[in-house]
Amino acid sequence: MPVIDARGLVKRYGDLVAVGGISFSVESGEVFGMLGPNGAGKTTTLEMLEGLRRPDAGTATVLGADVVREARAIKARIGVQLQATALPPLTRVREAIDLFGALFPTCRPTEELLKDFDLEAKAGTYATELSGGQMQRLSIALALVNNPDVVFLDEPTTGLDPQARLNIWDVIEGVRQRGKTVVLTTHNMEEAERLCARVAVVDHGSIVALDTPASLISAHAPGTTIDFDAPNGVDAQRLAGLDGIDKVTANGRVAVTTRAPERVLRQLLDPAATWLRRSGDGQEVAIRDLRVRQGTLEDVFIALTGRSLRT
Amino acid sequence: MRAGLRNRVAMFFTLGLAFLFMVIFGLLFGGNNFSVTYGVVDSDHSPQSQKFIGALGGIHGVTTTVESKGQALNDLRNNHVDVVVEIPQGFGAALGNPGGAQVTVRPTQASQTSSTASVADQILAEVLNGFTANGARSAVVLAPPATSAVNKITAIDYFLPAMIAYIILQSGINYVAIGLADLRARKVLRRFRATPLRPVQILGAQIAGGALTVVLQLLVLIVAGLLLFQAKVYGSWLVALVPMVLGIGAFVGIGFLLTSAARTSESARGLSTFVAFPMMFLSGIFFPITTLPSWLQTVVHVLPLTWLTDAMHRVMNDGVGLADIALDCLVLAAWAVVTFAIATWRFRWD
Repeated sequence: MPVIDARGLVKRYGDLVAVGGISFSVESGEVFGMLGPNGAGKTTTLEMLEGLRRPDAGTATVLGADVVREARAIKARIGVQLQATALPPLTRVREAIDLFGALFPTCRPTEELLKDFDLEAKAGTYATELSGGQMQRLSIALALVNNPDVVFLDEPTTGLDPQARLNIWDVIEGVRQRGKTVVLTTHNMEEAERLCARVAVVDHGSIVALDTPASLISAHAPGTTIDFDAPNGVDAQRLAGLDGIDKVTANGRVAVTTRAPERVLRQLLDPAATWLRRSGDGQEVAIRDLRVRQGTLEDVFIALTGRSLRT
Repeated sequence: MRAGLRNRVAMFFTLGLAFLFMVIFGLLFGGNNFSVTYGVVDSDHSPQSQKFIGALGGIHGVTTTVESKGQALNDLRNNHVDVVVEIPQGFGAALGNPGGAQVTVRPTQASQTSSTASVADQILAEVLNGFTANGARSAVVLAPPATSAVNKITAIDYFLPAMIAYIILQSGINYVAIGLADLRARKVLRRFRATPLRPVQILGAQIAGGALTVVLQLLVLIVAGLLLFQAKVYGSWLVALVPMVLGIGAFVGIGFLLTSAARTSESARGLSTFVAFPMMFLSGIFFPITTLPSWLQTVVHVLPLTWLTDAMHRVMNDGVGLADIALDCLVLAAWAVVTFAIATWRFRWD
């Protein structure tokens, strides 16, 4: 039986449909990601599963319990980290853990959590004085205070610097290794790719694709992209005629999509085949700053919605 | 468990504020320092008016200056006198009438002396009442009425109950309205909602915390008033406790209601000032209500602070029992019940 089973969840705010019929299920021990831009409905979906918002239509169960009728029972068994976490004013780190621990029937020892989340040195610090990364570690620690089976993390790394982000990724990986089921939202494709066993791509309140990151990429963003600067310009038509090339775009940087990157690269860089590298007026083309990259979830999102995630 | 989320530094300032209030008012009006100067314009020139002026001047801390109207008004503008009292022609004759006699009072415009003016009015009214009652019968007894509280109460005695009412108003509304709206805006309430706590526990803890803050402030205020400034209380504290508790209920309820009405913590802040400020001036704490136009007096008599102030004055200054302030208590209780009911019904979590 899945740990989470959502069927046709709908949430409207007046005329605005925040979530327009979302269905998915999450298996035990899985890290499940919801990837999408701001306002896609990720947070609302999560809050319906956490028993914080009542769905207008559809049903969902978490750990076998109905999210509307058995919300309190669910809240005791899940861990929640809300977006933009805040604590009561002037709460110290240790007090926060003690306080939240006291709100649950069972809780983990405060010292253990401080140690696990590398907050021992900050135990007496006011939460408001923590760095972004430390605050995020604290709010994930608070989500785990009741030793839950399922943990919901809403944008756990948004607004963090790259180093703090890597640190949080390690933390989440550690949570997974303890056998917890994790549901997280993100608009960072790298995060989804790296952490999640499966990813639901969410846009305008619906899931537009749901699979493992690798399957999503091979289905929606297959092939390799080779891109480079061509200061003298390039004859896109002649380039497109090259063996193994699927697509050429040349606005600013020249980008070539191919499923045979080795062959294309060899032809592109062959010193004997200079005719390939001629721009419209016959001048020799200079290739600068050449990069080769695999398809990413970003490409998947663009392919599925026609828009970039980073808007 | 729930009280664990009070914060200590803010508490220090909060209690310090109550203490500061008492000290400032205590120093301004405390003990023997209190004085009020009446500019008296006698248009009657009767023996009765002379005796009235004498009676007024006989009160401790009161100075009277008899002068012409123009001179008196000039002194009032220059702050040489606190209040101008005009004794109209026919004052002496009117004393014998069942309706009694009247004097006209002009307080100063300067706001810093308004509290003085408020006491001055109270003193004047009491002297005139006593004078009229006795004078109507014999016109001989001119000593200030011995049974009237105003002869015994000093300004600090008068201000302690008023300050109690004021603290209940300010803190009751502010701590709950702003505190709750703030926690809501910063999603702290939402975070607690994601725990097995029941909604009533979350809100109850915050509201109880606000009420507790008010109680602690009152303790500081009262202790400072009694010990530092020797305020005298003529009524029973047990009786005084009833309107205080109901008053806290009413104003905390208003605070809760404002949180429900406001969307952001900024608007909660604005709203609570908007509600508390006029009430403060219209409910007899700084100005006597009798100086207001009559239509406004009707409005004022609906406001809970009017009833709370009235009850506190009557218990603490006049020493009346619970039966005499039953109506005040009833009105305060009604405010508490109605505001809590509406606030609970309209409350939004985000």
